[in-house]
Amino acid sequence: MEESRDGDWTLVARKPYFGLPTACPVCLPVYIYLKFARCPFNLEINSAYPDSDQIPYVEGGTYVAYNNEKGGVIQQLKQDGVVDLDSEFSSLPEWVSMKAMMSSWLADAITYELWLGSGENSAKQIYYSDLPWVIGKVLFVKQVYDVKQRFNISKQNAEKKEEESERMAVIVSTIASANTMSKNKLFHPCRPTSLDADLVGHVLFTLKALPEDSVIRAALLEHGNLVRYAERHKNDFLTSGQSSASASNFQPPPSAAQARLMESLSGSKPKRKPKREKTEEEKSFQRKAKYFIGAQLVAVLLFLSLLGSSSKADLDEDDED
Amino acid sequence: MAKPDEFKPDPPSENPKTEVDDENGDDVYEEEETEEHELDEEEDDEPEPQLRGRIPQSAVLMQQAKLQGLFQRLQTQSVPLRVHDVLIKGNTKTKDYLIESEAALFKNCTTMQQILEVSRAVNFRLQALEIFDSVKITLDSGPPELPGTSNVIVEVQEAKSPLSGEIGAYTKAEARSSTVEGTLKFKNIFGHGDLWDGSFAYGWDNLAELSAGVHFPRFRGASFPLDVRAFLLSQDWLQFSSFKERSMGLSVALLSSRNHDLVYNLGWRTLTDPSQLASRSVRMQLGHSLLSSLKYTFKVDRRNSPLRPVRGYAFAATSQIAGLAPDSRCSRFLRQEVDLRYAIPLGILNSALNLGISGGIVFPWGTGFKNLPSPLPDRFFLGGNSSPISSLGGPTTVWGYRTRGLGPTEPRRQLKSNGGDEDAADPGADFLGGDLAVTAFADLSLDFPLRWFRDRGIHGHIFASAGSLERLTQNAYKDFSLQKFVSSFRTSVGAGIVVPIQPFRLELNYYYMLKKFEHDRGKPRFGVTFSM
Repeated sequence: MEESRDGDWTLVARKPYFGLPTACPVCLPVYIYLKFARCPFNLEINSAYPDSDQIPYVEGGTYVAYNNEKGGVIQQLKQDGVVDLDSEFSSLPEWVSMKAMMSSWLADAITYELWLGSGENSAKQIYYSDLPWVIGKVLFVKQVYDVKQRFNISKQNAEKKEEESERMAVIVSTIASANTMSKNKLFHPCRPTSLDADLVGHVLFTLKALPEDSVIRAALLEHGNLVRYAERHKNDFLTSGQSSASASNFQPPPSAAQARLMESLSGSKPKRKPKREKTEEEKSFQRKAKYFIGAQLVAVLLFLSLLGSSSKADLDEDDED
Repeated sequence: MAKPDEFKPDPPSENPKTEVDDENGDDVYEEEETEEHELDEEEDDEPEPQLRGRIPQSAVLMQQAKLQGLFQRLQTQSVPLRVHDVLIKGNTKTKDYLIESEAALFKNCTTMQQILEVSRAVNFRLQALEIFDSVKITLDSGPPELPGTSNVIVEVQEAKSPLSGEIGAYTKAEARSSTVEGTLKFKNIFGHGDLWDGSFAYGWDNLAELSAGVHFPRFRGASFPLDVRAFLLSQDWLQFSSFKERSMGLSVALLSSRNHDLVYNLGWRTLTDPSQLASRSVRMQLGHSLLSSLKYTFKVDRRNSPLRPVRGYAFAATSQIAGLAPDSRCSRFLRQEVDLRYAIPLGILNSALNLGISGGIVFPWGTGFKNLPSPLPDRFFLGGNSSPISSLGGPTTVWGYRTRGLGPTEPRRQLKSNGGDEDAADPGADFLGGDLAVTAFADLSLDFPLRWFRDRGIHGHIFASAGSLERLTQNAYKDFSLQKFVSSFRTSVGAGIVVPIQPFRLELNYYYMLKKFEHDRGKPRFGVTFSM
């Protein structure tokens, strides 16, 4: 396990905007994840490289965890033993499916909205406002083109892709909303996981950075518990964020820091809060929630299979034409 | 090969002519033989009988005597003669103003000798435009009512083929190093002497450049040429500093003369790290920036030869200011370089002692400049395979050290090996360059005793050099001390053979490091330097 040379970790992310510590939808979950982990780190801003897939990255000494390696920064931090909030859950099927939905459907929907939908101005503010106008303009056009290529969007299927993207976001929001109804956290009642970081990051970004006429934003606002859930966590880490921001003076010895992290986060010796007694009502509600999640998963699978067959039918029609 | 003017035993007339013939494409003036001119002296106004057919021997002898008298007068005293008018012929495409502006020097001539000298210069300048196949300058007598005057007739032949190609070695004002370049040129499309070219260049320091440009010798009557180039440049520093540089933009040479160069550059610069191994300082600088800069170079070289200076001195100073744009988000810095060379002849075996010192400093400007780093591509890096004797491009070389082989370093990113907990092989360190650089050298050159070497210019040399880099930005200047800087100097000595191959200087040397630091890339070895 790589240790920070001077005990300081640094997260290099995009610039803060819209009242968020970092306004990039890819960087914000990483920021929140480190906050959940109570990992002291410095936040550095990179405004000169908006088209880099390496950012965000976490560095400490000669160790660097880039976003474009090993499945992302959070995954790499887990694999390298730096920070792991998911050690108990990463093998559970529900967790895996929720993670997949969060990192694919919701993230894709937000990407679509940001670059091809109503979030164009937000994208320019976040990524290009610190670059000279000409460079920013060219890079924005290039990025829009790249996103279209990534989602395979053409003039013919643009509308359909947009509807699909919104539908995905609505589905994920509904599922997430159901899961957070009774708990402070998305998956585990007592401590956050990277799922919580993803959901909080995406929800906050959608609420703060996307304009009011955004369809995804409107769909999210229908789930009040989600909004409250995200705002609660934002207040938490903003308050603790002030102490972390001044943690540039905090320089624990690397081995002691790592030991503290591993001790507090590893699954072998978890420090749990004392469990409170659950009422019968709560137990029954949790059981129903799990059945609900299962039903939603089945619905999603059915939807995908139907979508796939309808796309194939469209393609066949196009070929005949 | 220039065809020398032939002595023309024409019958004397009221309008005697003097011709200066030259062919296109050769360095005519170095090879031209003594011209012979026939000019009746203006005092001899008496008409002489025109002879047709056979010329009597007495008339020939008389003309020869007159000619000899004229040559004696030309050699011993000034022959007063003014230019009344310059007539231009043969320019079917080229605009008159271009040729007239090149021939404007004739107006100040007051003697025959001056007219002949200016004729050579004007011929050379017109040839240098590369748009004519031949240039002929003829002196004709002026109007009879204006004695003591002559008319100059400039007859040009437009280039038959507007397309040409060439390969050569160049050092452009906007380039950082010398390059080998292949060029395709289109000449004189609009008749303003314009030269349009597309070129590909490769430089010694991993530089590749694709550019297209236009050269106007006198744009809209201006007294200096105008060069505009669009360029796409790529430089690979992955091996030394873990980054690649790509630039695209525009370069305008606003002033270009023998001693002065003023160039404006507007470029979009991108630094990337495809290896993802860069150290922290390099990672912080990756990304896009806009460079808008003005660079002024003053250069004077009074040495007898830049390839083997034996006497004389050379001085160069380059000042660059970047950030000349209304957008405050572009790259802002000040950069200054100074070079001084001095050659002292020692008198034995054509030996000479060459001394040189170079220095440079770069510093950002603007809000919060004390906390900003200088841009990585604009810092000073020492080391490489060029000789400091020939080049006047700032502090670049300490003999014996490899490219970017000395100065501040920072460890690169450490990767884990696939096998387990052990770390992978050491990835090394990035050379970060410096904001302040100083180099100095002393070189003693002397001929070999054998004539075979002397005839080819091959000679030996013994040398010593020193250099150092220092960071000043991001408040590092507060820790700077002269004593510490002097103690950080690396030194090397060596000896070798110099083979001048025009326009290059090839050195085969042995280097020995007297003082080096831990991460410096230099060791006792044989090596080759190549410079121009």
